[in-house]
Amino acid sequence: MQLKQSLLMAIALSVISLGAWELYWRSQGKTPNLDDNKDLWAVQRAKGNKATADDVILTGSSRVLFDIQLNEWEKETGIRPIQLATAGASPLPIFSDIVNNTNFKGTVLVGVTPPLFFSTTYPLADPWYRAQNRTDYFQKRTYAQRFNHLLSIPLQKNLALISTSEEKWNDNFDLKTLINNIRIGERIPQEMPPFYRFDNIDLDRNVEMTPRTVNDTAFANTHKKVWGFFGKVSPPPDKKSTMDFFVNDAKKFMERGGKIILLRCPSTGGFRMGEKMVTPRAEFWDKLVDTLAVPSYHFEDYEPFKNLDCPEWSHLSAKDARFFTTELVKILKADGALTKSKTN
Amino acid sequence: MLFNSLSFVVFLVVVLALYYSKIFNWTNKKRILLFASYLFYGLWNPPLVILLWISTVVDWITGKKLATEENQRKRKLWLLLSMFVNLGFLTFFKYRDFLLDNFTTVVNAYGYGYNATPMDIILPMGISFYTFQTMSYTIDMYLKRTERAKTFLDFALYVTFFPQLVAGPIVRATDLISQFYEEKKATVNQFLWGLFLLTLGLFQKVVMADTMLSDTADKVYGADKVLNFWDAWMGTLAFSGQIFFDFAGYSTCAIGIALMLGIILPDNFRYPYGSLGFSDLWRRWHISLSSWLRDYLYIPLGGNRHGIVRMYAALMITMLLGGLWHGAAWTFIVWGGLHGTYLILERLQRQYVPFKITARNGIFLAFITFTFVNITWVFFRAREFKTAWNMLSSMLYMNPEGEKVIGSFDILKVSVIIGILFLCHWFMRNTSVEAVSKKISPIALAFVWASMFFLIAISQGSGEQFIYFQF
Repeated sequence: MQLKQSLLMAIALSVISLGAWELYWRSQGKTPNLDDNKDLWAVQRAKGNKATADDVILTGSSRVLFDIQLNEWEKETGIRPIQLATAGASPLPIFSDIVNNTNFKGTVLVGVTPPLFFSTTYPLADPWYRAQNRTDYFQKRTYAQRFNHLLSIPLQKNLALISTSEEKWNDNFDLKTLINNIRIGERIPQEMPPFYRFDNIDLDRNVEMTPRTVNDTAFANTHKKVWGFFGKVSPPPDKKSTMDFFVNDAKKFMERGGKIILLRCPSTGGFRMGEKMVTPRAEFWDKLVDTLAVPSYHFEDYEPFKNLDCPEWSHLSAKDARFFTTELVKILKADGALTKSKTN
Repeated sequence: MLFNSLSFVVFLVVVLALYYSKIFNWTNKKRILLFASYLFYGLWNPPLVILLWISTVVDWITGKKLATEENQRKRKLWLLLSMFVNLGFLTFFKYRDFLLDNFTTVVNAYGYGYNATPMDIILPMGISFYTFQTMSYTIDMYLKRTERAKTFLDFALYVTFFPQLVAGPIVRATDLISQFYEEKKATVNQFLWGLFLLTLGLFQKVVMADTMLSDTADKVYGADKVLNFWDAWMGTLAFSGQIFFDFAGYSTCAIGIALMLGIILPDNFRYPYGSLGFSDLWRRWHISLSSWLRDYLYIPLGGNRHGIVRMYAALMITMLLGGLWHGAAWTFIVWGGLHGTYLILERLQRQYVPFKITARNGIFLAFITFTFVNITWVFFRAREFKTAWNMLSSMLYMNPEGEKVIGSFDILKVSVIIGILFLCHWFMRNTSVEAVSKKISPIALAFVWASMFFLIAISQGSGEQFIYFQF
């Protein structure tokens, strides 16, 4: 065996093939992007353990991720919030984790996306499991997993070919996704319309909607189809158990000096229509606000937010998100909901 | 730490750099390997390294006493101490909740209304492997089949050697400890072949098991429905391939990494799906465990020395316990029981309906064996008997109207992969990767090597744990 010769050739072939792979996907418009996975989340969650009474933690679903821009928030308040919102998830397990597993006494902003917030408390239901899975991972992650994450960051930031993700987007191009995207015939019906990634995220989990989602209507429409699919397959909301669960934790949190802000981010089009039918404001949001009596902000109540457009019905463009955040913080400060500010 | 992780790449590079640096003598290099092995294990869960230490110290002391003690009664007591500690760990961490659950069921069957709370204890990674490895040392010492380890360092390294610590191969003291006595350094060819094996093992795990097959197996076994004939078979075949690639992949990585250090570990798999019958299968699948069970369980139970009935009983007990070794659940025991039954039937066939295996009927027999192996995997993979029965009935075409959960491409993918896997095992059954690689040109080998690396790199994976870690 001439292994030395084979190794040298194998290295050369590997470099060439991986280089070609990287260039091909870049030529298709793919760029390096971080994966919003449980490791990235856990790094932020760890900050929650050291957070002071001045700090702000953001929880909620993807709307808080897209619509609250950390840079704008920091510019307005001098404090960079800790972003713990999780896409497609109920905020209840994460809020509960903060209340029960930390001594945090600062401010928690809870994003209320009614179909998710009021969805369920059943541990195996997707909205609950997605959030609980992250809190569990944070509690159990090993040193090896932390080290892996640390090592993966430079690769994720610099190589487009690192494309595997926890969310399993249909436009990932890791081998598993490429294979799973192949369909022959219609032996089983397509479960869900293709779901394409539409965010860019940084190390602090600051998320911005991609320009393509704003500029390419056909692309945005693919997401509208996905929301429509979720609307059809989601079970009816479970208002009582979700309200009871949250109110119980909220009271515990406020008793120890913590502050809660409820936020209803904008939604438009068919999504908004669906929300009005399934989780009408008067019966859900207003009831929650009345029960808790904490600073609460619904986008419909504020003139600057009323006409904001969501390109795919559920999240703001990066530009609108910056505007939304800046204006929201001004309102919060004017209301005294954000009393502590490093610039004060 | 997992072989299929970035942290392991860094870890291995550092270990190799220190191991081959000229500033350390052999004793210090062994200390480095020992420390690296504890780090390898501790980065998963530091406190559980204490279990390794206890096991090491107890078996070291036991070995020392057994080497000098001549009083048979005292020798037996030392052996029992070692067994008590090792099997005690295994029982407490792995079987406690299973035993409690069964105890509760039995007691409540008599109307006591006993309600036990499971402790839900974390299962120390690889506990079944390292406890069996250390027990083999003390049993061999007791039976005077091996020499006492020369130093504590050599023994501790034998128990903890990181390439095979968490999922084997389960190596006997005679095969490994003696390799630590003199300085080991891989030749260039050994080092590069070790690197090739590491690439091959990662390819098996990351590409074949995790990327190509796991989703189909998970989809079918997680469906919780009565399935269509094709779905049940494809899910089972996918699992059959997944578990082979996963476990053989780990063993191949372990052998390759050890070889890069100049240490030779025994083969753990020899193309098991090309087996002709079940005795052959167990000489090819997880060889280090099956030989362990043969030497330390089947033969002490009487083996074939005390008549046919006793032999069959010994065989069945060995396979049932072998099943239980894999997991604390009745489904694993049934899996072992099925293998025991197959082995007994095979021996009866040899006795009463003997026939000659030829080149013509061989592949047919291998196919029959593989088919029956797949039946056993149903119990291995299903978490509950209900799932297993549903799967089996669908596989026997008893649910023609069963639900479809996988697409046509999944069926095609699994059929092609498993078909190739079976044929590969059949044609490779009397040779080895090394022998084949010597026959092909360096360019072809380079192409295979680069293709595997490329596919690993574009698969990436999410660092899935090896299936056998949970055993």
